[in-house]
Amino acid sequence: MTDTRTAGNVARQLNELMPGSAVSLQMSVDSYLDVMRGTLDMYAGKRDMDTIYVTATISFEAIKRIMAALDIDTSRVYFVDCISHIMMGTEAAQKDERASLVESPTMLENIMLKVEYLMRRSQSKEKLVVIDSINSLAIHNNNWILSEFLHILVSGLRAKEAYTIILSVEEHSTPEIASMVNLVCDSGIRAAKEE
Amino acid sequence: MPPRTGERERCVTGIDGLDTILYGGIPRDNTVLLTGSCGTGKTSLALEFLIHGAVAGENSLFISVTENSEKLLANIIPYKFFDRDLIKSGKLVFVDLPAMYERLGMTKAEMTMEEIDLLVAAIGNLAKELGVRRLVMDSITSVCYKLKTPEKIRDFILKLSKTLSDLNCTSVLVSEIAAQSSAYSTFGVEEAISDGIVLMANLERRGDLLRTLQVIKMRGTMHSRAKYVLDLTPMGVLLVPLLKGGSSAT
Repeated sequence: MTDTRTAGNVARQLNELMPGSAVSLQMSVDSYLDVMRGTLDMYAGKRDMDTIYVTATISFEAIKRIMAALDIDTSRVYFVDCISHIMMGTEAAQKDERASLVESPTMLENIMLKVEYLMRRSQSKEKLVVIDSINSLAIHNNNWILSEFLHILVSGLRAKEAYTIILSVEEHSTPEIASMVNLVCDSGIRAAKEE
Repeated sequence: MPPRTGERERCVTGIDGLDTILYGGIPRDNTVLLTGSCGTGKTSLALEFLIHGAVAGENSLFISVTENSEKLLANIIPYKFFDRDLIKSGKLVFVDLPAMYERLGMTKAEMTMEEIDLLVAAIGNLAKELGVRRLVMDSITSVCYKLKTPEKIRDFILKLSKTLSDLNCTSVLVSEIAAQSSAYSTFGVEEAISDGIVLMANLERRGDLLRTLQVIKMRGTMHSRAKYVLDLTPMGVLLVPLLKGGSSAT
């Protein structure tokens, strides 16, 4: 189902990061599952770190289903779901202790607050925050406010020595989005299927 | 954050974001007006201030004016740091003001000047007896409705503030205002005589409703005057800066 070489490459590059690093992870649409495997299973899972997964693309339930299909352990993944509320499908998230709902992807401050809440709740020494994805957030927000959001969020996480991964989908990216992500990230990883 | 030399001692609220905004906390013995319209989180923030105080060993008193304290406790956010033993041990005390009115024989709709003195003395005596270092009155607006005139309101708040300050007690007076009010208090008097004003509000931006907090004034310390967005969580009140990119949009 996933390309283990691509996933392994992602995990290997993530393992080289210093604490507090922010990384831009560019991927093509067909590498999404490899990125998930590399990030959540082969990287965060192996290092016993809690992951805070901000989902602005698909609901947390859908992500959980994908993870289950990939046989990825989700017991240490906490979700900030910005999508279920606008889809009027909050029932599952309200029942799940590991999911925090944000009413809309336009409520960027509330995303920061939920991340902060989960950071405080986490007992894990190392923490990873994944933003999935900057392209989805860009649908709902202008570049100015989104840039401000990234700057404040990443600076705060850096101060707490948490790792940040900002996912972006190549097919949907623009030079403005790439520039905004590069501004706050220390390094970039490109996940593409190996020929 | 320890105070720098020459600065006033701080009453650390325990609410991280607020202590940062206030450069370490509320200057000790200040009387702060915590004001805002309904649903903005005033009571939750005030309660958290008291709970953190009680946890830190400071005797704390909540004077409930509008809501029965049993009901208040039933609806309290399940704070991770709240332990009901704080109430049992007397570190955190709840008093209903209507019961106090009754005990003092204040049954009329409007208080006289003598009754104001009597009420302030009763609150002062209670605070002294309990060794209170933190006090919340929720809400001062409800008391003001019984005072009617600006002169009486002024007299009451000044006397209460002085009494509590003399007891080394840092106090928070919760004030209710209308949603679209440009004033910081209902009667316009409370804001002028408080040492500090913390304004809580609802900000509508493109159909989203955000809870905000802003410190308007605080005697005895530097402070941020920026607007912050807050969330009420089981870990307490959390604050992040309001993103300016959207602050002018409605």
